[in-house]
Amino acid sequence: MARMRLLILACAAAALGTSTAAAGATLGAQDQTDKGIEEAGVCSRCHVISVVEWAYSGHRKAETRCVSCHGESKGHVIDERNNVKPERFPRGDAVVNLCATCHDSGCPETNRREACSTCHHYHALVDVRKPVAIRDERLEQLTLRWQRYDERMREGERLVAGRAWGAARAAFRAALDSKPGDPMAAARLKMCTRRLNPGLAGFEVVGKDPDEPTGLPKRVRVQGLGAEMVLVPGGEIDIGSEQFPESTPIHTVHLAPFYVATREMTQAEWQSIMGANPSYHQGSDYRKSAQMPVESVSWEDIAVFLSKLNSLVAGSGFRLPSEVEWELAAVQGGEGGEVFNLEAPRPCGQGTPNKLGLFDLQGNVREWCSSSAVSYPYDQTDGRESSGGVALRILRGGAFMEPEGWYGPALRHSDRPGRRLPWNGFRLARSVPDDVADQAGKGQ
Amino acid sequence: MDTQRNCKQTRRDFVRTCTVGALATGLAGRPVAGAGIVKEYRRGGMYYRRLGRTDLWLSLLSFGSHTCPADKLRLADDKTALTEAGQRRRDRLIERALDLGVNLLDVYDNDSQWEPVARLIREKRNRVVVSLAHLQTPAAIDRACRLFGHIDLYRFSIKDVDDRVLQSWDILRRAKGAGKIRAIGIAAHIERSFPAVLEELDGLDFMMFPYNFIHARADYSQFLPEAARREVGLIAMKPLAAGSVVSLDSVVDPRTSPEQEVLGLYGSRGHRPIVPAAVAELTRALNRTPGESLCMAAMRFAYSQPFLSSVVTGMFDDRYLTENYEALTKHRALQVEQSAVLEAARRLTLLSGASWLPEQYRWLEDEWRA
Repeated sequence: MARMRLLILACAAAALGTSTAAAGATLGAQDQTDKGIEEAGVCSRCHVISVVEWAYSGHRKAETRCVSCHGESKGHVIDERNNVKPERFPRGDAVVNLCATCHDSGCPETNRREACSTCHHYHALVDVRKPVAIRDERLEQLTLRWQRYDERMREGERLVAGRAWGAARAAFRAALDSKPGDPMAAARLKMCTRRLNPGLAGFEVVGKDPDEPTGLPKRVRVQGLGAEMVLVPGGEIDIGSEQFPESTPIHTVHLAPFYVATREMTQAEWQSIMGANPSYHQGSDYRKSAQMPVESVSWEDIAVFLSKLNSLVAGSGFRLPSEVEWELAAVQGGEGGEVFNLEAPRPCGQGTPNKLGLFDLQGNVREWCSSSAVSYPYDQTDGRESSGGVALRILRGGAFMEPEGWYGPALRHSDRPGRRLPWNGFRLARSVPDDVADQAGKGQ
Repeated sequence: MDTQRNCKQTRRDFVRTCTVGALATGLAGRPVAGAGIVKEYRRGGMYYRRLGRTDLWLSLLSFGSHTCPADKLRLADDKTALTEAGQRRRDRLIERALDLGVNLLDVYDNDSQWEPVARLIREKRNRVVVSLAHLQTPAAIDRACRLFGHIDLYRFSIKDVDDRVLQSWDILRRAKGAGKIRAIGIAAHIERSFPAVLEELDGLDFMMFPYNFIHARADYSQFLPEAARREVGLIAMKPLAAGSVVSLDSVVDPRTSPEQEVLGLYGSRGHRPIVPAAVAELTRALNRTPGESLCMAAMRFAYSQPFLSSVVTGMFDDRYLTENYEALTKHRALQVEQSAVLEAARRLTLLSGASWLPEQYRWLEDEWRA
C-alpha cells in the first residue's frame, strides 16, 4: 500500500513537473527493483494519467505491466507524432479475452466471464460507480480529542455550579489542552483563576457578587480618586444606525470586558489631579458645582489628565472609552433618567442610572472618546485609536442644551482635539487590569 | 512497524513533493501585487464587502441562481419552472439565507424565477441586493423594474467582446443612466476575454467569473491590478466547480451528500477514478476540523481572496447553505499549508483535463481554458 501510494504520488509529482528530480530520487531509493516503474516511466511521458491509474491498481503488484496488455509497441514509443499505434489496443470483447488470459476462471468475486469493464476501470481496476473512500486517521483522532474537550467542559461547568473553582480550573485547563487555543475554554479558565484571586490592581472591590461569565467584580472604586466604575461585560455589538449618515453601515464589533465610570468626571476630581478647574459652569452661581461635570476640556487636556492619573494609581491603564465601548455601554445599559433642554449641566450622579448603573451616559455633557473620526466600518487596528495625529476625535452622547430629538446612542459627533467647549466633558474607562498584565507578559 | 512508518513517510513525502512545487511556483489565488483589497465589515456571522466603486455592500456569500435539477418542470411554452415542492424548498432556503445575512440574490430568469423571488423579497426589498440576468433589451429591463421596483445589479454573459456585446452593453449603460439599474456588469467564463472586457466596456461596475481552487490562476498579475485600477468589483462564480469539488472529497459520505444525488457525480461513464483518489489522498493533509468538508475548504479558499466582493454559489439544500455559511464563520483564512495542498490538488486535477468533472459540467473546464 505504501509503495503504491508512493508510486502514485511520485508519478503525479513528476507529471506535475513540480519536482521530477525529487520524485525520481524517492523512486530510486525505495523502488529500485520495480521494473514496471521503469517501463511505465516511458509510457508516462504521454499517458501520465493512465500510468497513475495503473500504479493505483492491483495489476502493478501482480506485475501486469503496460506491455502485458499493449505489447512492446516499440514503434509507438519512438513515434512522437503518434502515427504508429500500440501493438494492442483492446476494446469491447477483446478486453474480456485479454482479461481471460490471466483470469481464466472469470472474475474472482462474481465468476463472470464477460463485460469486465462494467465494474472495473481499464487501468485502475476500481469500480468507477463507487466513490473513493479513504480513512483519515488524523481527523478521526482530532474528533476524539474534541469529544474529550466536550467532556472536560461539561465537567468544568458542573464544578463551577458547585463553586469548586480550583477543580473547575483544572478541568478547563484539560479542555484547553484537548483543543488548544479554544476561546471558550480559555475564557472559563480565566474566570476560575479570577474567582480564586479576585483582587485587581488600583481598584477597591465594591460589593461581593462578581460577574458570573468573567469572574470579575461588577463594581469597583478607583484607589485615591474615589470614582466608582462598573464592569461592562463586553461581547458582540452591532454598532451604527441607518438613522444617521455618519453611522452607517451597521456592523458587528467584538469587545473585551472593560470598566467605565458610573459618572462623568467631576470638577472636583479633575481639580484633585490637575490643580485647576477649567469649567465654564463653576462657582457659587451653581448648586454643588464641585460635583458638576468638568467641561471646557479638550481631548488633549484629557490626555494630560490621564497621564497624571496613571502615574498615581497602581496598575494604571486609565483611558477614555473608545466610541464602540461607549456605544456598547449605551446599548447594554439603555436609557437612564437623562435630561435635555437645560441652561447648565446638572451635578453628576443625579437622576436615574441606566441598567448598568451609569448616570447621564446619554445626556448632561457630551463625552470625548479615544477614537478618531474615521468613517465606518470600525476597525480598531486601522490607526483610529492611536493617540497621535490631529484628526478629529469622536464625541458621544447628548448635551444639556440640546433638544432630545437631536440625539441617538449611535450618533457620532466629532471635534478638533484641542478645542474646549462648555458642553464637552468625559468619562473614565479602564481595560481589565489583569488582561493588560497578561498582554504585557506576552509582549515580554 | 516499519511498514507503518514507511507508509506515513510516504504520504508525507507525497504531500511534501507536491506541495513544495506548489509553494515554489506560487499558490493559486495568492494575492497578486496591486490586486486591490476590498473594504469589508462584519455583521453577525456575515461579512460584507464593497462592490467596486459602487455604494453597494455585498454579503461575502451570495445565493446563486442555479436551481435544483431534480425540481425542474417543463412548461407548455418550452419554458421551465420548479415543481410546487421544489419552489417551496427554494423559497424557504432563500428566506433562511437572508436570515443568515446573505443579501445578494442572483436570479437569472431560469425556471421562471423572477416572479417568485420578487414576491418573496417584496417586504424587505431595501435589505436585499438583487442581481439579475436575462435578455439585455429595454423590455426585459422594464419588466424586471416592474417586478423588483429597481434593479441593483444587471449583467449578461459573454464569450468574447464583439459588436453584439457592445450593442447590449450600450443598452445596459443607457438603463443605468436612466436610473433603472444601480450597477452593470458582465459574466465571463473564458479567461482570454477578460482583458477586452475591462478595456472595451466603459462604465463596467462589476465582473463575474469562475473562481475556485482548481480554476484559480496564479498569474492574474495583469487582470487583477487592472480591475482594481478601474475599480471594477469582482464576484466569484462556481466556487465549488459546479458542485464537483465534492467528488474529490475523501471524507464525504456519499449517502449523506445531496450533491452526489442531484448532480450525479461519480456516475458518469469514462470518469477518471484515480484523480479523485489521488486528490483525496492529498487533501487528507488539509488539517480539517471535525465536520469540515473539502467543499468548506474550497469556499474558504474563495472567501480568503481579498480582491473578491462576493462568492456566489447555487444552493438547493439546507446542508449546502449551512456548510457555506459555517466555512465563512469558522475559519476564514487558509493556512499556508492548506493553500499548498489545494494548489497541489489543482495540479492533479489539471492533469486529467476536464475528466474529473461530470459530463454536464465539462464545458466549465473547456471554456475556462479556451
